[in-house]
Amino acid sequence: MGMNWLAHLAARAEVPVFLAEGEAAPAEYAHLLARMPALRMVDTPRAAAILLVVGTVPKALLPQLHRLHDQLPHPRATILWQSRNDLSGAKRIDSAEDIGTAIKTLHSDLLAGNVESEPDILPDAPPNEWRGVGPHGQGGKGMMGGTPYGRPMAMTAADLRDGLELDTYTADFGPFLPMFPPGLVLKLTLQGDVIQTVAVTHPPFETTEDRGWVLLDLLGLPALAQRKLRGDATGKGSFDRLARLTAARAAIPDGLGRTHDGSDVRARFDHLMSRRDSALNLHLHHTGLDDLLVGLEWHEAMLVLNSFDTASLRTICGNTPEPETDDDADGEDDKKEGGMDHGAHAGHM
Amino acid sequence: MSFPVAFLIMLVFLLFGIALAAILDGVIYRRIAGRPGIPVLMPFYRAAAHLSRQRIETEAPDRLNWFLAIGGYIAVGAVGLAVVPLGPESAVIGIKTSVVLWGACEALVVVLVFLHGWSPNSPLALIGAYRYVAIGLPIMLLSMFVLIAAALPAQSLDLREIVISQEDIWNVIRQPLGLPLFLLLGLSLTLRGPFDYADSTDLAGGTAAEDSGAYRAGWQVARLTMLVGFSAVAATAFLGGYLGPVLPGPVWLALKTLVVMVLVIGLSHLLARMPVARMLGLIWKVLLPIAFVDLLLAGLVALA
Repeated sequence: MGMNWLAHLAARAEVPVFLAEGEAAPAEYAHLLARMPALRMVDTPRAAAILLVVGTVPKALLPQLHRLHDQLPHPRATILWQSRNDLSGAKRIDSAEDIGTAIKTLHSDLLAGNVESEPDILPDAPPNEWRGVGPHGQGGKGMMGGTPYGRPMAMTAADLRDGLELDTYTADFGPFLPMFPPGLVLKLTLQGDVIQTVAVTHPPFETTEDRGWVLLDLLGLPALAQRKLRGDATGKGSFDRLARLTAARAAIPDGLGRTHDGSDVRARFDHLMSRRDSALNLHLHHTGLDDLLVGLEWHEAMLVLNSFDTASLRTICGNTPEPETDDDADGEDDKKEGGMDHGAHAGHM
Repeated sequence: MSFPVAFLIMLVFLLFGIALAAILDGVIYRRIAGRPGIPVLMPFYRAAAHLSRQRIETEAPDRLNWFLAIGGYIAVGAVGLAVVPLGPESAVIGIKTSVVLWGACEALVVVLVFLHGWSPNSPLALIGAYRYVAIGLPIMLLSMFVLIAAALPAQSLDLREIVISQEDIWNVIRQPLGLPLFLLLGLSLTLRGPFDYADSTDLAGGTAAEDSGAYRAGWQVARLTMLVGFSAVAATAFLGGYLGPVLPGPVWLALKTLVVMVLVIGLSHLLARMPVARMLGLIWKVLLPIAFVDLLLAGLVALA
């Protein structure tokens, strides 16, 4: 099938890729991908044409991978890079040299219609049935409450900071959110963008990836983040000058994410920017995610999460207490379904 | 200059401005990222790539407001450009209260960005929407102080009069605090860099997290339209608009708009974004008092 003019132009664009990172991902994969000019990593699957699964997503997280896959717009395709996962229609690549060319070619073929867009893996239907009990099929208490389609309706609770009654919203976040360390799934209760409770559903995968570039990205500096990710090609002196110019360090609130040994996000940011190979010697025996994240706004919480190396974050996850079990049946349902309740929302990824 | 001619010039101005803004953004991004090449055609290829992909509907979206948010954002950016005079008596929207009309456009941006985050029925998009409103209120106050100060020497809320009042000395020199503060508003109105609390990376794209296909392209065009509109208003209110020797007025306006555009894009890539509570503190406790001093000084000069 020949390409129309729009597809011809589209094929010349950088290929928008959404990364789904699994266990045992190839070393330095983020740096390798950043050096490929034909690719552009995107923040949301809605903006992507190619889903790139790097490493192997464990069985427990496969339902999330399937939901993620179905969130990409057509025409779409999947590439499995050094992955033992099995997705129907996906192309397997093992060599790092081939990955850029393979993605570019697949994108062109998709646009030309030479490769069929991958169909949905999951049925296009709510993951849970309607559970309303009211006379109009609504929730549980009058017009409020209940778990329609398995999603607990927002109910008010006292705000941690001032006690005012605000809606709370509980959901699983992760494991493929680009601003979360790969593999991490948290059950968060939010009021607005303030975290009220946190529980670890799945800890992050073991990696040695440096998250310094993610911190820069979270501080609104994607170009500088890209420069850091591209590494030595651009020279350290010019990077340091630019980093100082942006006042990135000053933008981080003093004392944010302080652990019991006194290190905060600023100190960990300094360490990540200095490109020292040695890890920061953090004492985290008594620090859990609940100590660090509860009461923080979303942006602050993301800065805290990405300021730790993976080994430290896994320790912190291990120190985080199990959530208190809900007494009511709604909470139990929600737990059993293991996050299927929010499947239709791309934001949870 | 007749209305059809002014309209045609502004239409060309807008289309070229959008294309140029997209190219400049790519060039400055690459320079900072340390990547070689000048991606002149890349924005067009990207737009084609967006348009060739499916537009996905989320579960139970607010369809009407999703469409209105994108269309409305383009419209208010274009209205911003339309109030800018091309010559002493030629503006597409030539009214005596053009500063008030622009102020209304600024306020509407807050509403439209909120609707954009509200409509997809998605939590991260909604957080982006609410966060933008929290920042939007004080930043609009800041803008009003600065714009009223710029209007004081002209003793008029008509941008045409404000340009004429700068024949001897531009407002950027007469009121040195004005343009820097107004540029911060520009970053907020165009959802950029340190003021991008709506579509930021920590929310996986925020209000735009669910946009795909044509809507994604539309939202990017809307942001660029607002950038062109804002830059032209800033060039008019602070850099003397169409005033300048030898070259025709519209050319001067285009050059000054380009300067403002480069400043806004450069700042968006070079200034870090702080968490929202810290930014609110900075705006209310530092920037708003500075904006008030700007207004006070302009008032004292007008009385003297």
